[in-house]
Amino acid sequence: MRQRVAITGVAVVDERTPDVASWLADEAEARRLSRICQLTVAAGRRALADADLDAQGGLAVLVGTEFGDMVSTISFVDGYLSRGPGGLSALLFPHTVMNTMAATTAIAVSAKDLSLTLSALTVAGELAIARGAAAIRAGRVGACLAGGADEPAPLVMSALGEAGAAPELRAAGAGFVVLEALDGARARGARVLGEIVGAAWRAVPARPHRIGSTASSRAIAAALEEAGGHAAEVGRVYTSANGDGPREEWERALVDAALAPHRPPYQSPSVPAGRHSGLAAQSVASAASEAGDRLALVHAVARGGNQVAIVVRSASRAGATALIP
Amino acid sequence: MEPKEAFDELKTILVTRLKFDPRRAVDLTLETMLPKGVEDSIGLDSLDFIELSIAIEERFGIVMDESADLAPHFASFDTLSRYIASRTTRA
Amino acid sequence: MKPVAITGLGVVSPFGAGVKAYWEGLSGGVCAIRPITLIDTEGFRCRIAAEVPRPIAGSARRSRADRLALAAAREALDDAGVDRGDREDAAVIVGAVGGGMLEAEAWHWRRMRGSAEPVPRPLASSFPSAHADVIGSTLGLAGPRETVVTACSSGAASLAMATDLISDGVVPLALAGGVDALTRICFMGFNALRLLDPAPCRPFDRDRRGMSIGEGAAFVVLEDGARARARGARVYAELVGYGMTGDAFHVTSPHPEGEGMARAMRIALREAGVAAASVGYANAHGTATPQNDRIEARAMRDVFGEGGLLVSSTKSMIGHTMAAAGTLEAVATVLALVSELVPPTAQLETPDPEIPFDCVPRAAREAAVEFAISNSFGFGGQNVTLLFKRAG
Repeated sequence: MRQRVAITGVAVVDERTPDVASWLADEAEARRLSRICQLTVAAGRRALADADLDAQGGLAVLVGTEFGDMVSTISFVDGYLSRGPGGLSALLFPHTVMNTMAATTAIAVSAKDLSLTLSALTVAGELAIARGAAAIRAGRVGACLAGGADEPAPLVMSALGEAGAAPELRAAGAGFVVLEALDGARARGARVLGEIVGAAWRAVPARPHRIGSTASSRAIAAALEEAGGHAAEVGRVYTSANGDGPREEWERALVDAALAPHRPPYQSPSVPAGRHSGLAAQSVASAASEAGDRLALVHAVARGGNQVAIVVRSASRAGATALIP
Repeated sequence: MEPKEAFDELKTILVTRLKFDPRRAVDLTLETMLPKGVEDSIGLDSLDFIELSIAIEERFGIVMDESADLAPHFASFDTLSRYIASRTTRA
Repeated sequence: MKPVAITGLGVVSPFGAGVKAYWEGLSGGVCAIRPITLIDTEGFRCRIAAEVPRPIAGSARRSRADRLALAAAREALDDAGVDRGDREDAAVIVGAVGGGMLEAEAWHWRRMRGSAEPVPRPLASSFPSAHADVIGSTLGLAGPRETVVTACSSGAASLAMATDLISDGVVPLALAGGVDALTRICFMGFNALRLLDPAPCRPFDRDRRGMSIGEGAAFVVLEDGARARARGARVYAELVGYGMTGDAFHVTSPHPEGEGMARAMRIALREAGVAAASVGYANAHGTATPQNDRIEARAMRDVFGEGGLLVSSTKSMIGHTMAAAGTLEAVATVLALVSELVPPTAQLETPDPEIPFDCVPRAAREAAVEFAISNSFGFGGQNVTLLFKRAG
């Protein structure tokens, strides 16, 4: 049976969050987790606390990331380059695999259902949330932490620039929403912030690292169709603005074309501080609280054409449990 | 090398490679136990022990025989310092 | 779960390009693990791996991993007879870990040693997500596009995720697989963890001493079963169930009782409604580390009973190909069903008495099997079991 997807918690942490360390459990977490893993674990614990949920009834973890833990990866290889094989760190090596944030978070919160790391330019966080919503809708998991994490490594940023990649505003941070089957959330008396009523991801034709030449796309229509909604009902759009001008223009063209002739206001949580994959959780939570009696669209598209659309509605309109302040 | 000297080096390794808080290293004694799950230990797990082994091999120029059971040597700072002292003296 | 048909296979392995070379190597029990030529191994205990032999098709401007992936993806699509029109809605899901890191490392090594060489343009495509963009753009696949990283189980996770999309009716067809080229990071890291055998790995042997690294790519075409039959496609096998679980235990060590592994296998059986006794073969994760093989065998014993099925590790021939492993082994499992021949565990001389299974030592075994599983486990306790059913 297809489940309705409730949003029951959210947390986003970044370098300005004052109390990240207080969300780490012990000395081992403090010394063993890299910075990006600490941010991710803290965001995961805070989101679960916000939802008043633990992993007892089963929990999946989905983390979107652009580049993973490149800070640790560079530190790992530089250990070798400066000191030879004796300079290699066994503790850093697991961080060189992008699933390290999801793995350490799953361990930290005892999440024993599937754990997925989805890597993509620009859209990774939205993609993880869309995947999480689909898993709940199909009944494959009952609850999940879905979001993303990034930490721009200076060497990677400068190398990308030298290699001709478009300049983008990137920040370090992590964020999750807690998604649950609405029936399960109601049964445990959870506060419901809103609902993901549609989620779809597709590729718009474009060459790698390029923006596409077309403004027609399919993800938004597919997500609206799943939501049983219409473009006219979309009252707000949350975009993936990241300081890459041509890409932002293309994104607006794609959304405009999909919603035409309607022109709801656009906003984005990623400007001006810089974007990280965890901000997708911020977009989805803001959409849930601000959609009012209409629908909100969370949208992201990457150079290369990867596109994600998530349709959200507020708890009031969802007819779900009333918001508890 | 004397066990005392090895112990001081181990404390440095704990901070530089195992990322312990330097303030924590001050409180350590030879009697402090190493493995996780043992009372009054610093809570090292399998991955920490591999890191510690690499660091010891690099710092003291010794090669540990992986097929041998090294666990008794890695029980406490005392056993480990003695083991390093014996290996460096012999070499 | 709705069964999903496997209608196309593509492989680039340490036996060379193509499914045919791969199956000849595996069924012949040939070990492709040899001294490493791609990177400097001076000062490391282990200096061998299973490299893909030259020549590798594709432009030298692309990363080695992109070339491996593209060649395998093309073969799978051609094999399934997927034409241009069908591709527009097709999903592409890639399991990846290293991306184009081999080339990025080479540049970083030179720069750290004083070179002022500018960053070559292709290095912007060094990250794992580049493969899916390259495959999607080059081969015209415009459905959902995903790159999944679950460490050493990535190539199995990609098939599970494709199955979801078909089951949920999102797409009729998906190209899913995994790719990894050898990288210095991987080689150095497993050396640092003391997990590599200086000699070719010996899964399930009493005297096993660790794994061997490999590289390669494999892709499969998965398709809605009714649609595949309607278009008269050849169906190799069906993916009838999968289980994905997390140990939530430790970053590099599996749960000591294999709880998460056993749970993945049980979920796969349950989703498919298949009894454990019906499963005749397990292509094991079988890395040949003392720990993995013992714990995996324990988990399989809990699920299937002692000696309940034939078990082999094809890593004994092609090494651990990281993100490609889950797909390469899924292809081996499918081919075992199709050809009624179970590939062996090479180098298995003295079976470990703690492993209560017939691990098919050294020579392939004729066996008509109806159901078979492929196990893949990754760092962080990321377990995937795929369950396949023979076609027809």
